[in-house]
Amino acid sequence: MSFLQPLGFLALLAIPVLIIIYIIKSKYTEQVIPSTYLWELSERFLKRKNPLKAITGILSLILQILAVVFIALAIAHPVFVVKGGANDYCFVLDSSASMNVVDGNKTRFDSAKEEIKRVISSSATGSTYTLICAGDTTDVVFNGLDDKKSAINQINQLSSSYSTGGLDNALMRAQKYFESNSSMQFYLVTDKTIENVQNVNYVLVNGGKVNYGLTDTSYIYNMSDGESTTTTVTGKVWSYSGDATLTVEVFIDGASIPANSARVQVGGNSATDFSIEISSADFSSITVSVKEEDDLPEDNTVILYDKTEGDSYEVLIISKTPYLIKAALEAANMSCTVLAPEKYSKETCQGYSLYVFDSDDDKPFTPDALPADGAVWFINPTGSVEKSGFSTRGRSEAGGETTLSTSSSTRVRNLLKGTSSDDTTLASYVKCGQTGLFYNLMYCNGDPVIFAGSNGHGNREVVFAFDWNLSDFPLSFNGRALVNNLINYTFPSLADETLVVSGETISLNVLPGCKSLKVVSPSGEEEALDTSGTISEYMLKEVGEYTVTADVGGIKKTAKVFAQFPEKERILNVTETNFVLTGEPGTERRDGRYEDILYIFIILAVLIMADWAVYCYEQYQLR
Amino acid sequence: MARKVIDEEFLGQIETLQMLVKNNVAGMFGGNHKSKTYGSSCEFADYREYAPGDDITKIDWNAYARFENLYTKLFLDERQMHTRIYIDASRSMGFGKGKKDEQSLRLAAAFAYLSVCEMDKVSIYAVRDDKLECVISGMLGKEAYISSIGKLNDVEFYGDSKLSEAIVPSTVGYGDGMSIIISDFLTDNDFSAAINHLADKKRHVLCAQVLSKEELNPKARGKMHFFDSENGSKYYRKNISREIISAYKQAVDYVVERIKTVCASRGVDYMLVGAEDSIGDLFFNKLVSEGVLK
Repeated sequence: MSFLQPLGFLALLAIPVLIIIYIIKSKYTEQVIPSTYLWELSERFLKRKNPLKAITGILSLILQILAVVFIALAIAHPVFVVKGGANDYCFVLDSSASMNVVDGNKTRFDSAKEEIKRVISSSATGSTYTLICAGDTTDVVFNGLDDKKSAINQINQLSSSYSTGGLDNALMRAQKYFESNSSMQFYLVTDKTIENVQNVNYVLVNGGKVNYGLTDTSYIYNMSDGESTTTTVTGKVWSYSGDATLTVEVFIDGASIPANSARVQVGGNSATDFSIEISSADFSSITVSVKEEDDLPEDNTVILYDKTEGDSYEVLIISKTPYLIKAALEAANMSCTVLAPEKYSKETCQGYSLYVFDSDDDKPFTPDALPADGAVWFINPTGSVEKSGFSTRGRSEAGGETTLSTSSSTRVRNLLKGTSSDDTTLASYVKCGQTGLFYNLMYCNGDPVIFAGSNGHGNREVVFAFDWNLSDFPLSFNGRALVNNLINYTFPSLADETLVVSGETISLNVLPGCKSLKVVSPSGEEEALDTSGTISEYMLKEVGEYTVTADVGGIKKTAKVFAQFPEKERILNVTETNFVLTGEPGTERRDGRYEDILYIFIILAVLIMADWAVYCYEQYQLR
Repeated sequence: MARKVIDEEFLGQIETLQMLVKNNVAGMFGGNHKSKTYGSSCEFADYREYAPGDDITKIDWNAYARFENLYTKLFLDERQMHTRIYIDASRSMGFGKGKKDEQSLRLAAAFAYLSVCEMDKVSIYAVRDDKLECVISGMLGKEAYISSIGKLNDVEFYGDSKLSEAIVPSTVGYGDGMSIIISDFLTDNDFSAAINHLADKKRHVLCAQVLSKEELNPKARGKMHFFDSENGSKYYRKNISREIISAYKQAVDYVVERIKTVCASRGVDYMLVGAEDSIGDLFFNKLVSEGVLK
């Protein structure tokens, strides 16, 4: 037993004082009176003689001492070591994706929840419960909850995450609780095999023996006579348990019958490549699945989406010499219309997805106003345009080498995807000052010569600050790759990536004119995203197919994203190093009803002190 | 140590009072109190026929003129009363701060003064054990009072007192005045015999019970060990609680009622005097209201 407030025992000093007072007061006072006749006569008039009266004095002293002891104990707040007594419990529940492995008719996560509920149910009344859930994030579900029913209800509502869970953050939180209360009972419930556990009750829930899965799944179109005729689906099929012969099936557009399949021999805890050719190149999605059942079905299926499927775009090229740009855009299936610069006006030229202003050095052309209903490309700009986000500052000879950006920005790296370190030759370039936010992709003499961003109308804008006709850029390897990337940038899809891993955060493009952006998870949960920026981020918490829907100018655009099961979590038996709470554990238990008892103590003490006061009033006429 | 029993101012005040005597008394000497026999006072009582040898000055000549027969006027005789005052001089009367002894002496002095003013003879006795100690004997007249009353200051209060054993054997006149017993009557000894004896002698008896405030309403609480002031071997050891105090008060009521009953049965006056009471209030208010004085 220990005491939370040991100084409370100072109240016991009142006991010797009480005894001294009692001794002083309990002495018989001798007094000579005129006659004892009346006192002796009074005996005849005593109504009753209570034998307890004889011990009234000592009884009062005992009760008063007990009152003082009770008060001192109440202040000192004893903590009893009681077998089966109340305690503070802290549960660390691993809710990583691997906890979804099925063992019989329930998952590991269900088993873990039942284990925690069993501990809570068997704990003494008055115990408190804290639950740390280690999933995609580390959350304290409840802290210091003293209601068993409420705790169990909240545990019932928990579901496992589909992300790679880390117990490190949970350990840090648990350590803090341990430092504040060393007597707290810690339970770690996980499917990971922990080699070193200290000050923690380790509960292993690693039911489930068999798991197969797919990784590195992709497809390519097979070209024949310049056209896509068939598709080859490739990937790896895993057996995370023993050797197995697995069947990989491919379904087209969600058909119930597989378009093709393959039998694959897979060794234990290893992967085997597979390749399946299907006779179609016209599809929206391909579902690749392992036919054999296992204990973790979530990683057996992957859905691949056709990214080429999309809208066609109308392009207006305002140029005297549109040949190079027109060829580049038409190669990307753009429908191009060429217009002489002198015929262009903002009022008459509308309804295009992209406006390309290509100016010659010989006949410079600068539009009087920026189109508001589509993206804009400037090639060799010769003047500043309002809301374009940049201004021209004269022409400069390109004496030095061009260099590509080395920015670590994800966006810049995506835009430079497929480029090499080859140099690009420019005759001259236009020096541009940027007032808007642009991603600089290529520099010449330190000045940006290719940059991309958004203009004042919120539309995407790309600037090539040099004349394509006086450069090898259009025909160079870097030029082709960069233009393709910039076309994709100019006409962004809702989701740049369609196959991701659950637990990751994806960036969704907020298209120009987008009024709303909504994501529906595989479980049907809807979430509206922020559309104020150009990108909106969303965390994929489930495995399966997500549907992204955007309202762009009254037209609904839809994209599909498939979140696959994280590879690390597919391994059935993961071994982690340690889960150690450093410090000396306490052994205190509480009775769990201390507060109630405290009130009883106080009431009892008040009653006894009141009795003492009455006693003193009667005995000693203390007033 | 000489006590100042009573001051002259107080004596002057009580001089105006007269002792109320319920019955005419027969005394050996003339005095201011009417007798049952005819005498030589100024108060007319009756006529009778003249007989030779009668005082011719008492013949009513007006009656002779009317009836032609000699008649002698008879007057009530006024006898001198002998007031006997018995003071309980036991230790219980003089103990503590109750001033019961001083109150007793004041009472005695006051009653003596009143009697002296009535031209009565006054004797004062101190009752100690079973004997009467005569403090003042046959005091008559104010001059004698002034010269003798100081002897009260010499009365000592000690020992026990047995009123009956002391008073009954004493010589008292038959119907010749008033007897006043001043005591606390807190004793197991029988005192009713003394009262009966005095009443049998046709004396006007007054019992004045003097009790202190502490005796009437004791303040003692808690564990007390009381010793009897008159008898060292007697003690009372108790935890004085509310119940005991209540029983004590019942005992006081019982004692007072017992004396009252005895007195009432013999036509004896009774008065309870607080030791702390003012003698002025006592004489001007209490004794008058109870009909002892007029």
